[in-house]
Amino acid sequence: MSDTWIVAEKELLDLRRDRLFAILIGFLAIASLISVAVASADFRNQLDAYNLYVTNLAQSGSTVTAAAPQLFPLKLLRGGIEYLEILGALFAIVLGYGTIAKEKYRGTLALFLSRPVSRFSFAGGKVLGLSIVWLGVVVVLTAVSLVAVVTIGHAPIGGIDVARLLIAGGFAWLYLVFWTALAVGLTALSTRLSTGLIVALVIWLAFVLIIPQIGDTMDPDNQVPGGLFATLNIQKTDELSVLAQFSAFDGIRNGLEVSSVTKHFERLTFAFLGIKDQYNQLPLGLVWTAMLPYAITLTAATLASVVFAALATTRRTLQRNQS
Amino acid sequence: MTTSAISTSALSRSFGAHQALADLTLDVAQGEVFGLLGHNGAGKTTTVNLLTTLLEPTAGDASISGHSVKTDAAGVRACIGYLPENVQFYDNLTLLENLRFFARLSGLRRPDARIRDVLGFLDFTGHDTQRVGTFSKGMRQRVGIAQAVLHSPAVLFLDEPTSGLDPEGVRTLRETIVRLNHEFGMTIFMNTHLLSEVTKTCTSIGILNHGRLVHHDSMTNTLAAFPADESLEDIYFQLDSAAA
Repeated sequence: MSDTWIVAEKELLDLRRDRLFAILIGFLAIASLISVAVASADFRNQLDAYNLYVTNLAQSGSTVTAAAPQLFPLKLLRGGIEYLEILGALFAIVLGYGTIAKEKYRGTLALFLSRPVSRFSFAGGKVLGLSIVWLGVVVVLTAVSLVAVVTIGHAPIGGIDVARLLIAGGFAWLYLVFWTALAVGLTALSTRLSTGLIVALVIWLAFVLIIPQIGDTMDPDNQVPGGLFATLNIQKTDELSVLAQFSAFDGIRNGLEVSSVTKHFERLTFAFLGIKDQYNQLPLGLVWTAMLPYAITLTAATLASVVFAALATTRRTLQRNQS
Repeated sequence: MTTSAISTSALSRSFGAHQALADLTLDVAQGEVFGLLGHNGAGKTTTVNLLTTLLEPTAGDASISGHSVKTDAAGVRACIGYLPENVQFYDNLTLLENLRFFARLSGLRRPDARIRDVLGFLDFTGHDTQRVGTFSKGMRQRVGIAQAVLHSPAVLFLDEPTSGLDPEGVRTLRETIVRLNHEFGMTIFMNTHLLSEVTKTCTSIGILNHGRLVHHDSMTNTLAAFPADESLEDIYFQLDSAAA
């Protein structure tokens, strides 16, 4: 059994009995569940209204076929994704910070460092333990959301939907690991415990809230509820030719958005779950093709964050900050 | 001929402009119980931190059971046990889980039998499934000793082991130190303020004053060099003030 796994195992055991962890995850689960449940209930109402309309048409002897509403059940998960985007990232930072901070202020770090352990076992074990925790959280949230969509929304879920959901869950896991590892590294590097948390929260504020918000505000289509172009009944081709006149502006807006890892996560999950209309009828292969750059950057960002945590949380930096 | 369990050569450590330890040259033979005395800020904890590889020296070197703290820190860690001042554990974990964690980190693959042996030796049974967060200071100190000796280290470092203990706890700890030394031949290096305990447990002592070793001899020689009616406390103050 490697030192890294020994640390990860201890971390899992410790977190399982940690009250703050239970509260954070419970809150995230309830918020996501309520969001999905409300959306599912709305979905069910739309479905019922359509079915009633069809029944009434048939009873009146009409031979007209009513067009089915364009309902995509995975769209119901939008609220849950947005909670993960903001609260999930915040809680990932809190847990990443907490796992290092507790060792430092409790004084258990000295006991650990006096053991013949390998160079990266401390950081590796911490990040591995928290990654397993986030994997469990994502699996549970995904399963609960799926059950809510099926039972409350009476939404038809097929194999392809489950596949899309699993892919989105994978990206959610990468996104949470990114924030947790970043907080681990920053807390290990900082001599004063609060500095690591403050720096991580400033990064969170900038990349999760401010930059995506600026991008959204600059998006012309977001100026009117329901979309500017849709409200004006402008077709997609015309929309693109209008936007072509503002390519420099849109380039800046897009550049701002893609500088945020949160936007990468959002674009990926919105595409795979079909929350963005342009992707919900596309075959999975084409969604992959369109989203590959984002998938690569999110994966690379997560790997970079884990490497940063490993390099920052060495015996040398921890010893330096102990003294 | 006795071999050195601990040997330091001009070991020094400074923090910025502050010289916490200067040119410490010292030998502690195998099987000794060595007490390092000194006032607050004399450099005792810095010395222990250097010898346990928790700090790196700015100059000089030290070896523990032949392993250099500078060039073979991993070798040092493998052969030492360490009890820090005010030892803390993972409060959410039980006694057994805490000890398993530290035992595995020390290389014990199936540590449960060894843990039970050590807890039996320390007369600390019946608390295996209790969370350490509920333990008193004295109980934590015993857990601290247990985690430090689980892997049968050659040298045991104790930093202010009696700090915060009640008289009963102090006596139990003293008896434990003596038994570890007598029954297992463990070399023990301890920092302490409690001079009465040093007289009862240590075979040799050193006195640090402002980071410099001002006295190092066996307990017998130290006591013999002064009038018979003088206690170690009187001797300590004489040596310490002479160096100041």
